[in-house]
Amino acid sequence: MDFLELVNFYIIPGLVIGSIYALGAVGITLVFAILRYAHLAHGDLATLGAFLALAVVTGFGISPLAALPIAILGTAAVAVGIDKVFYEHLRERPKIVTVMASLGIALMVRAVVQVIWGVDSESYVKGIVRPDVYFGLRIRDREIYTVIAMIALVGVLQVFLTQSKWGKAMRAMSDNPNLALLSGIDNKKVVMLTWIIAGGLCAAAGVFLGINTELKSMMGWNMLLPMFAAAILGGVGRVEGAVLGGLIVGVAEELSVLVLPSEYKAATAFAILLFMLLVRPTGLLRGKVL
Amino acid sequence: MKLKMLAIAGGLLAATALSTAGAKADVKIGLLGGVSGPIAAMAPAMIDAAQLAISQVNDQGGILDGETLVGVVGDSACNPQGGTDAATKAVNIEGVTAIVGPHCSGAVLAAAGSVTVPAGVTMVTPSGTSPEITGLDDNGMVFRTVPSDDYQGRALARTLREQGYEKVAVAYINNDYGTGLANAFKGEFEAQGGQIAGFAAHEDGKASYRSNLADLSSGGADTLVIFDYGDGTGLTILRQALENGFFERFVGGDGMKSDAVINELGTENLADYFASSPVGEASNALDTFNAAFTAVGGDPDAIFVTTSYDAAFMLALAIEKAGGDKAKVAESLREISNGEGEAILPGEWAKAKKLIDEGKAIDYKGAAGDHNFDVNGDVPGTFALFEVGAEGYEVVTNMK
Amino acid sequence: MELYGLLNYALFMGVFIGIYALLALGLNIQWGFAGLFNAGIAGFFAVGAYTSAILTSAAAEGRIGGFELPVIVGWFGAMGAAALIAWPIGKICLRFRSDYLAIATIGIAEIIRLVIKSEAELTNSARGITGLPRPFGDLDYMASQAAYLGIVLVVLAIAYVLVERQFNAPWGRMMRAIRDNEDAARAMGKNIEYRRLEAFIFGAALMGLGGALFAHFNRSITPEAIDPMVATFLVWIMLILGGSGNNRGAILGAAVVWIIWSVSEIATDQLPHEYAVKAKYIRLFLIGLLLQLVLRFRPEGILPEPLRGDLRHTKEGNRS
Repeated sequence: MDFLELVNFYIIPGLVIGSIYALGAVGITLVFAILRYAHLAHGDLATLGAFLALAVVTGFGISPLAALPIAILGTAAVAVGIDKVFYEHLRERPKIVTVMASLGIALMVRAVVQVIWGVDSESYVKGIVRPDVYFGLRIRDREIYTVIAMIALVGVLQVFLTQSKWGKAMRAMSDNPNLALLSGIDNKKVVMLTWIIAGGLCAAAGVFLGINTELKSMMGWNMLLPMFAAAILGGVGRVEGAVLGGLIVGVAEELSVLVLPSEYKAATAFAILLFMLLVRPTGLLRGKVL
Repeated sequence: MKLKMLAIAGGLLAATALSTAGAKADVKIGLLGGVSGPIAAMAPAMIDAAQLAISQVNDQGGILDGETLVGVVGDSACNPQGGTDAATKAVNIEGVTAIVGPHCSGAVLAAAGSVTVPAGVTMVTPSGTSPEITGLDDNGMVFRTVPSDDYQGRALARTLREQGYEKVAVAYINNDYGTGLANAFKGEFEAQGGQIAGFAAHEDGKASYRSNLADLSSGGADTLVIFDYGDGTGLTILRQALENGFFERFVGGDGMKSDAVINELGTENLADYFASSPVGEASNALDTFNAAFTAVGGDPDAIFVTTSYDAAFMLALAIEKAGGDKAKVAESLREISNGEGEAILPGEWAKAKKLIDEGKAIDYKGAAGDHNFDVNGDVPGTFALFEVGAEGYEVVTNMK
Repeated sequence: MELYGLLNYALFMGVFIGIYALLALGLNIQWGFAGLFNAGIAGFFAVGAYTSAILTSAAAEGRIGGFELPVIVGWFGAMGAAALIAWPIGKICLRFRSDYLAIATIGIAEIIRLVIKSEAELTNSARGITGLPRPFGDLDYMASQAAYLGIVLVVLAIAYVLVERQFNAPWGRMMRAIRDNEDAARAMGKNIEYRRLEAFIFGAALMGLGGALFAHFNRSITPEAIDPMVATFLVWIMLILGGSGNNRGAILGAAVVWIIWSVSEIATDQLPHEYAVKAKYIRLFLIGLLLQLVLRFRPEGILPEPLRGDLRHTKEGNRS
């Protein structure tokens, strides 16, 4: 196998899928670090975001990329709403209670998607798109959008977290909640911001998965475990770690076909994760150890 | 107070449960399907097709003494836990006379083992393709209208060899359906002198299969045979293969003969795409079903709808023949479709009922085959290879 | 609906509740008493189910088997195999704290699922193993269900008594001490790693036994049964809802959650005929909503952990 083939059929698809995992993993890592629980409804929120965009695309006849901001806003609003109605009361309880609640939310969100949009496979644009060839590299335009959008969204988030007042407050909550609360940070606002960001990124992950493949009611749930693997691989609480983790998981899954029987592709993410936890439990970029 | 709320919620559930004691006049059959879970996309159309058979029965005078046939839908969730639960409720709470389903083989095996066989309820699965169902110790109570994977895989292999396919790669979904078809196909294709230049299973629900495709195509095959579902992962694989120019021709099993493939990828891109599917020997049976299903807003090209329809219609015939006696349904099911007697096509309920009442033999010719059950309750199946034309799927050749 | 049917349905629910209660008891040893966040219940369940299936079934072409041992041997084998698998996993993973252990065990359960689904020589791959003997399976429908329920209840009672005795013994006190304050327990000279591993293995053995009971009840086991939703998450919901740290709570939680899970379908079937399929989605929505309500109003579970000793005078220990 020559080098170009390796890049075209293993590395590039891996990076595209990895970017989608990364978008979800960033949200997971933020919720993990600030609210301190594993949010199991993350995948199904991504499904919801993808289908919201589908409603906009079919309703107004605009391109899925143009529908993306609406899907992001809609899903962010839903995420905040879910937190207000269901998770807020459980804040003082053991975290495991909220984890179980999020599992129930996953069932509920999926049911809503299935009732409203049905269970058939859908796509934003019918037909197929053959890739363009740049210097021997076969890339479809949507794959470029996916990677660029991921970098842009995470870049904006990173600037927000490091430069703005509220971003700093979020990081403070993540690093040391007691100290942050003592110094007068408004916990409620931080939680709300976290959900806006996590929900919005979720929607982006769902929309880009839909753009690159199809929309199915189980698409998000199927993506949940690799996204968690990516978040932990990168180090909990580290946004750039989640991106790195997502890309590694994506590329490793594609490359695994070369060495493992292909039915074990889904196990790759976990094998990497277990290895990582053994040799470096803080994750690649020294996140928290919970 | 909190406990009280729980108690009230539980009480409400129990009350609604008890109120289901329906009118005894109805004859019920259970329609168990994987409504939630991995095949959620396929289940609704299959259940709709079975409901079509039921509504035809009711429109043409009802069953037995003009009683209404009712389809009770249950969610088998495509796993044994859900399958046994749904079957128990159908048999004991709803009091069904027979069951269409469950859809997934694991659910069929478990429901047969713990519920329907002990309870003496006949079960016809429209989509449980596992060869394990053949050997099930079932007192002759478990049937299927879908041929076991072995038949179709081998028929497809022979047909492809006849058409001059030399070297193919096989991608199959890693479940009982895909594994069974792929192995049967591989054995026969090689026995006929063909070459398998790539043979790999894949997990359901991943977002990218381009590396799998690259790996499969590295063997030098020009044709990819896909055993998967056309509205699930199979669609993703076909799309990514077309987009990236892997392989020149594509052949699918019956799971791939889905309208989702045409809708999502477009007819113009599917010139080199073929799919096999079980068909009846009386070819107008399929047309009759297609027209009827289209008329009620169904999509006749959805997966396993013909087998679902046949299962429900045949059970209705068998219940009529058995006079509503649960214990005789299995025996009657063989009698109404054993190749002897007047031919009954899909939808011809009034005619069939009249003949049964007169004590004459009938022979159901279904949309998905003639369904002359063998001793294990399997059907041999006859298949045709389809291509995508302007009007959807069109027959290329019959397969032997 | 006749009484006969209702009774049969109740017997069936009883069997399932009993099996799930075993899983929940196993999880209670791990989480309720040792604080180990095992999210890979499905893996141990599967190992138990398949071990017993291989030991007791007739020979089949293409896979190991044909031992045709008595069912009871299969069940002990299931416990042994699940414990044996749990040992290296625990050895490696128990050093991770809560959420990491959860992710690691989810991953291991997925790997076990993929191995079972792919290795034909071991498990007949995706087709599963059929023709398992079921004790008293030759009786008529109701009698055979009742007999199996009796067996499940006896097994559950034995497990309950043993676990309960262990918890009230010094061993249980030590486990709670480790869970609530690891450093203090270490300072007392307790071998924390070893004790945790012990709890992990005991719990896994019970889960394996649950898997075996499940397989023989259905006379078959297929990879579809290892779905994380019904084999892992549902058990967690049962334990948390019933009250972690309380064995009776675990069993009660299994009963309440399975009844909600199963009976909700009958409730949503009351919707008009044309919504017959949609009703199934609405059912899952209702299950999710009921879970929210219970967690909202009984977050410590229906039967909270009994306060023992000095804890009676202090607030409940804060665990995360």
